[in-house]
Amino acid sequence: MADGILLERAGLPAVSICTDPFALTARAMAKAYGFPGFEYVSIPHPVASLSEAEIQARVHGLLPDLLRILGVE
Amino acid sequence: MDPALTVDAAELRRAMEYYADQGWTDGLPVVPVTESYLAEFLAQTDRDPGDVLLPMPQLNRACTVRLAAINAALAGCRPEYFPVVLAAWESLAAEGYPVKGIWQSTTGTAPFLIVNGPVRDRIGLNSQGNVFGSGFRANATIGRAIRLGVLNAFGLRPHELDQATQGTPAKYTFCIAENEEESPWPALHTEFGLAAPDSAVTAMVIRSCVHIEARHTRVPEQLATDIAGTISRTGALIHETISAAVVLSPEHARLFSVAGWGKPDLRQFLFDHAVRTRAELAAAGKEAVSSRTRWRLPADHPDALPLAAEDGAIRVLNSPAAVLVVVAGAGNAGVSAVVETFGPRGGPPPVTRVRLGRLPGLARRRQRARLDRLGYRGGPAGDAELGAGAQQVRRR
Repeated sequence: MADGILLERAGLPAVSICTDPFALTARAMAKAYGFPGFEYVSIPHPVASLSEAEIQARVHGLLPDLLRILGVE
Repeated sequence: MDPALTVDAAELRRAMEYYADQGWTDGLPVVPVTESYLAEFLAQTDRDPGDVLLPMPQLNRACTVRLAAINAALAGCRPEYFPVVLAAWESLAAEGYPVKGIWQSTTGTAPFLIVNGPVRDRIGLNSQGNVFGSGFRANATIGRAIRLGVLNAFGLRPHELDQATQGTPAKYTFCIAENEEESPWPALHTEFGLAAPDSAVTAMVIRSCVHIEARHTRVPEQLATDIAGTISRTGALIHETISAAVVLSPEHARLFSVAGWGKPDLRQFLFDHAVRTRAELAAAGKEAVSSRTRWRLPADHPDALPLAAEDGAIRVLNSPAAVLVVVAGAGNAGVSAVVETFGPRGGPPPVTRVRLGRLPGLARRRQRARLDRLGYRGGPAGDAELGAGAQQVRRR
């Protein structure tokens, strides 16, 4: 979240990606950075133990959300 | 009854509940703090209340001397413990992991404080029986002072910025003194450049404290092998290597010493024997590391890099210096512990000298004058409410 917010503030469009159990922390971190409404993508947990094919499926699944937040038509 | 012992219990409970409602506690009751009580802590040091002890730039927050003092008082420290609390914060800053954000990690680490030198007796720190357990105010409250600072100065609260999956009971408090009197070896702080009459705090970030039972042996290699087996348990391996503080009971330390082993001999043995075979590691899927992060992985992972084995054994320590050895506990049984630390993995530990109060007369008068200028007033006139309406506990 911190990286996403700092990149946005530096003028570089960015979308942070977290897994669902990190929702509380993601909000707390965004608040700590003075950007409580910072939009990010939340995906199912876990990620660390997924195979390559499962990771690709996760990425395909989150792309529409990511493009929406970036404002890509 | 002595009228001085009479308090308004309802007022006490009201103050207690107020602090709990504000979220300023670790779940246990805290001691209410007034400006005059805070001044007693600040008078124990010549440092400016605004001095930063530990910055956390990623949160844009910092623990200052003043915040450390407030949380030490909340934790139940006596003012004379405060120089030890200050040294603990300095040591944690030097240790490095907290500044990098480890207290937000899912691993759920806690600070572990080892105190050496004459300050142990001066403030009643336990170094003997039940050294990890409860029952001693200085141990209980100095460790807690750090924990409350983590919660209140940085806002690192569970379910918010603290993402610990399970945490560790050591988060409440984990502060021991080395049992220098029953150790056959030089004290920890004297191994790293301080003199025996100095007092010091060595802080480490830790994950767990694992118990070792070995009452049966008088053979140093057997005992050291038991310890090495505990250090090299596969569950502890997240990165390529780990580090440990071995806390030996006096009986175990004597066993080594009688056989002619010093601390360096034990460290070398542990470095050489804290190993696992490739097959043992593969059974847990930890026989390789990521080429990028050096985290443990199975060999068939696309990012896997194989680990070098010597005679079929893979080390879990990167050097003998990755192990610290201290002596603590009662001399009544062959029981020791491995405290699983995050560091150091080769560098020296952050042994930090305790600068003891009372200050000499002139320095004390100067500090008093400075605190007066800043508005920290001693005595009853200074019992203003602290912060956002903290309650003053009055005698009836």
